Amino acid sequence: MTIDVLLVDDEPLIRSGLRAIINAEPDLTVIGEAEDGAAVTPLVRRLRPDVVLMDVRMPVVDGIETTRRLLANVDDPPRILVLTTFENDDYVFDALRAGASGFLLKRARPDEVIRAIRLLAAGDSLLFPAAIRELAARHSPPESQAGGLDGAGLTDREAEVLRLIAQGLTNAEIAAHLIVSSETVKTHVAHVLTKLDVRDRTQAVIRAYQTGFITPG
Amino acid sequence: MPRARALFAILVSRSTWQRLLYLGIGVALVAPYGTLAGFVVPALEGGLGEVAASGLAIALCAVALPVATGMLVAVRDLEIGAVRRLLGVELGDVEGLDTQVSWATRWRSAAWFVAHLVVGGVIGAVTLVLPPAAVSACLVPFRSGDVQLGQLDATVPGGPGGAWIVPIALLSPFALIYVAAAASALLARIAPRLLGPSPAELLAASQRHAMRLAERNRLARELHDSVGHALSIVTVQAGAAGRVLDDDPGFARQALTDIETSARNGLRDLDHVLGLLRDDVSSRAPTPTLADLQRLVDSTRSAGIDVTAELTGRIDEVPQAVSREAYRIVQESLTNAARHAGRVPVSLRLSVGAGDLELELTNPLDASHARRPGGGRGLSGIQERVTSLRGQVSVGPDAGRWRVAVRLPLHPTP
Repeated sequence: MTIDVLLVDDEPLIRSGLRAIINAEPDLTVIGEAEDGAAVTPLVRRLRPDVVLMDVRMPVVDGIETTRRLLANVDDPPRILVLTTFENDDYVFDALRAGASGFLLKRARPDEVIRAIRLLAAGDSLLFPAAIRELAARHSPPESQAGGLDGAGLTDREAEVLRLIAQGLTNAEIAAHLIVSSETVKTHVAHVLTKLDVRDRTQAVIRAYQTGFITPG
Repeated sequence: MPRARALFAILVSRSTWQRLLYLGIGVALVAPYGTLAGFVVPALEGGLGEVAASGLAIALCAVALPVATGMLVAVRDLEIGAVRRLLGVELGDVEGLDTQVSWATRWRSAAWFVAHLVVGGVIGAVTLVLPPAAVSACLVPFRSGDVQLGQLDATVPGGPGGAWIVPIALLSPFALIYVAAAASALLARIAPRLLGPSPAELLAASQRHAMRLAERNRLARELHDSVGHALSIVTVQAGAAGRVLDDDPGFARQALTDIETSARNGLRDLDHVLGLLRDDVSSRAPTPTLADLQRLVDSTRSAGIDVTAELTGRIDEVPQAVSREAYRIVQESLTNAARHAGRVPVSLRLSVGAGDLELELTNPLDASHARRPGGGRGLSGIQERVTSLRGQVSVGPDAGRWRVAVRLPLHPTP
């Protein structure tokens, strides 16, 4: 089973480079390209990619808005991996909040690009937990809004699992840590996502940071 | 005896002598007015009588002419330089030759110039008279009969009984130095009030400062964006070329070309912005406005680019802030055109209406340059300038030409 990738970037040379890197892998295929966010939603409906690699800054519709539109308008939307030139780009966190599953620096090494795409498609661990913690620390909510996740009704076990997810552990690693089976962990993770009403681990972790359930730092 | 030591320190301090030099310049400046008075008085005496002639000469040579001289901006600049250097007064951010100097400021400078002449003239006159008087005073004990003190209209009876005058004569040069030092200290104290910036000038200076900072920030961001963009292309393309080198040498070859071009573009942007930053630091020239547009057009032409400029309306009446930004927009558009389209003819149209300024710059679209790596990045600067003035901008291809159209309101609307 191959992972289908859609590339969205206004710079043709970034697209052609990424295309070559991705297509060199037997299990990855670039199935389409777009040079602006405006074209993405219809393209996703038609091509049904698994992962969208998307630039944050684009001339007409930027990556944040495109992410928002995709998640609102497409059933079973693809995972979105946001591309950025700069590490300290405030837009990245906005994109993550809008629903992107991870982000990647354009200067990442080819194997990091590949690994990120595979990891996102599999969806069973968090991409760059440390970087997300740093981003969350910079955008930490004011004390008054930090109400925690009391309303979500997580069990103690589920809360613990959420903390381990935030540290970047895979299901298998969490299972080993808690001395339970992988199946049990999967169930816990599924409950966490349902109770927080989020689509993936990244969103769950962002929520945990945003509500002050986990304090970055 | 710390007090005596302090008094002695005044005599040997470098700053005292610099201040005396400043008074010396005052003496030199008095000379032409004195000389002129020497001509004017005899010339007038015939018709007016001695008293009236002297009165008129004083009014002319001691008041009107020095005041008029003091109002000149160049004289003000010289005085500011001399005061900073020789009186050791830090005057703050003062308006100089490069900007409009208000009449209030000119009057203050004139007052300062007259004060400089008066203090310099008095100290100078005393310096001329005192040494001969002191020398003759030292001879008093050895003479008989009345001794005249130098050129002074004063006599002292000679003989040993007049010995009291000798120590006074010997100390008098030192006393003169102390008096001159005190006078220059007084001048130094009033200098900031007469030559320093007025509240309005202070405000203008801080606005200029804020503008420079904003400009630098903008340049830094632009540099960050354009070089970051170029380097991202370089890393992605190089990474890709490395991956597919064996399977797709054609791609790898093309990637190398693109890497070369991107890196070169990044370096050129770096050069460009660093050049602007350096200009900003080294030149004290004012920020150019639309008044300097012709020069910009001329220099662009001399760089081999054919510019047709059509300027209509009262360009000189455009408010400074708008005028400055409009100039920069034209400058950036010309640079962009040259950068992305090469040496193509550019046409510039600028018209000032009742409420706004319209600016249009077009050049033929060259297909081969249309999608060059890094293209279009210089536009963010224009965008930002337009936004800060609440104007409108549209950029893009239009009937086979690349068109930058900007409309700026002349006056801010709340």
